[in-house]
Amino acid sequence: MQQSLINIWVLALSTMIEGMRHKALWAIVVFAIIISMTNIFVTNLFSYDLGKVSIEFGLSSVALTGLLLVFFLGMKILADDLEHNRIYMLISRPVSVGQYITGKFFGLGLILLIGTTIIGLGSTLSMKYVLFRYAPFVPPDFSWTTYVMALSCQWMSLLVVLAVSFLCFCFAKQPFVALLLAVSSYLVGQNLELLRRVINENPYTGALAGQEKLVFALSWIFPNLSYFDKKSVAAYGLLFSGQEFLFLCLYCISYCALMLYLATLLFNRKELA
Amino acid sequence: MPPAIQIDQINKSFLSGRTTNYALNNLSLIIQKGEVFGFLGPNGAGKSTTIKLLLHFLRPDSGTMQIMGNTIGRDEFRHQIGYLSEFPCFYDHLSATETLMLAGRLSGMSKNTLHIRIPELLARMGLSDAANRRVGGFSKGMKQRLGMANALIHNPQILIFDEPMSGLDPIGRHLIKDIILELKKLGKTIFFSSHILSDIQALCDRIGIIHKGKLLYDGKLADFIQNDHLEDRFVAMIEENDRAAISH
Ligand SMILES: Nc1ncnc2c1ncn2[C@@H]1O[C@H](COP(=O)(O)OP(=O)(O)O)[C@@H](O)[C@H]1O
Ligand SMILES: [Mg+2]
Repeated sequence: MQQSLINIWVLALSTMIEGMRHKALWAIVVFAIIISMTNIFVTNLFSYDLGKVSIEFGLSSVALTGLLLVFFLGMKILADDLEHNRIYMLISRPVSVGQYITGKFFGLGLILLIGTTIIGLGSTLSMKYVLFRYAPFVPPDFSWTTYVMALSCQWMSLLVVLAVSFLCFCFAKQPFVALLLAVSSYLVGQNLELLRRVINENPYTGALAGQEKLVFALSWIFPNLSYFDKKSVAAYGLLFSGQEFLFLCLYCISYCALMLYLATLLFNRKELA
Repeated sequence: MPPAIQIDQINKSFLSGRTTNYALNNLSLIIQKGEVFGFLGPNGAGKSTTIKLLLHFLRPDSGTMQIMGNTIGRDEFRHQIGYLSEFPCFYDHLSATETLMLAGRLSGMSKNTLHIRIPELLARMGLSDAANRRVGGFSKGMKQRLGMANALIHNPQILIFDEPMSGLDPIGRHLIKDIILELKKLGKTIFFSSHILSDIQALCDRIGIIHKGKLLYDGKLADFIQNDHLEDRFVAMIEENDRAAISH
């Protein structure tokens, strides 16, 4: 194997092991499992569409915990690397900044994958229970394939948020500022589609009237996370084509690659003192 | 043959708020292959800054640096360098063996070689018992010794140690001294900084004295001492320099 690939793999693996042994990870995961188990009780509060509520609830708990993992575990591991000069032990070896950043990204991405899988399994179990108990409420076109695809989309949107956090991290001098930047770009990304729809469909939008192009551009600069939000598709058993899924994968990969490339450029100019 | 380390008219300043702090002022040094060079200076003299420049963690304002003929920041030569930081820091949740495995793999060594090399090195550093313990629970001295193993894992030609003896108990210091002498016998080039004069005296062929970013002396240790105590000569030189600066 080529040395650069070995470097990325070794860095990813050690980041993953380090993260997996972190108490914060398991605190978040246990919290998530408890939340997804409350599914059973929460759905009882609704007298209609139990199945849909349950599915949406399960996917939402994956999204919420994933964000906690990105913002608290991921950003902490990155910040500690610089703060405690741990990066010296890596960068004093023949490792490029690009390899370092890519390795860290893959390591944290793997942690997110494991987290998504565990929490996904937890919500699946509670969903199964709800769907089994209230069989009449199972959405007619519900399919587990769509559910798993929606879950993968959830993971991909977390990867995009993670990549944006990397860029913020390399841009900001203080870890706290980086966290603020990352959270705000997440919020912008989350609500962009809504803004776009409001502007496109409503002629009375005040200052933003006629700015469709600007908003359209913004929706590509900021991560357009609503593309990845397949909760209602899964809940109502709507059609989710393989083609669209493939498109989302490509969007995720190219967006992450671009973010990591820019992060590397910024990081290269940083002094590690 | 090019010298092991060549530092040529390096200037380095830090911006702190609105004021500029000149950490290094026109520093030039040449260290030949196989030399043990002691870099001596009071706290804040610029020793760590020089070392961080050599490892390209920092970028100089002006000047060039070469290691074995390779220009720093342009050529890849880091597999030939072993670095021990002033405050060695590792991943808290990896074990000592895993830490060295990570380091060795990043330096291009194979897993099989490392499976033999790591236990040997840990034994040499007196860390065999702690091989599978998480580094987060290590004491300062143990971390320092693990840092030394980390610097030596890939058997580099040039060793750069930033205060390798600081924070160690007498046993630990003795161990590090022995290791430096061993490396010297093997013909390695060693560049280390310290403000502990007795260590310098026991180990070095040549010394450089730096104060407030300026090189005050560069030459044979024996020529510097001249039948006096190293400590007295050192203090005298620093004080003389401070007085000259005030009268200006
Ligand atoms: N990252 C930094 N930012 C600002 N000033 C720094 C930084 N690193 C070092 N300095 C300053 O540079 C000077 C030299 O520091 P250093 O090289 O660490 O000294 P030492 O000889 O004790 O290792 C000091 O005045 C220190 O305050
Ligand atoms: Mg220092």
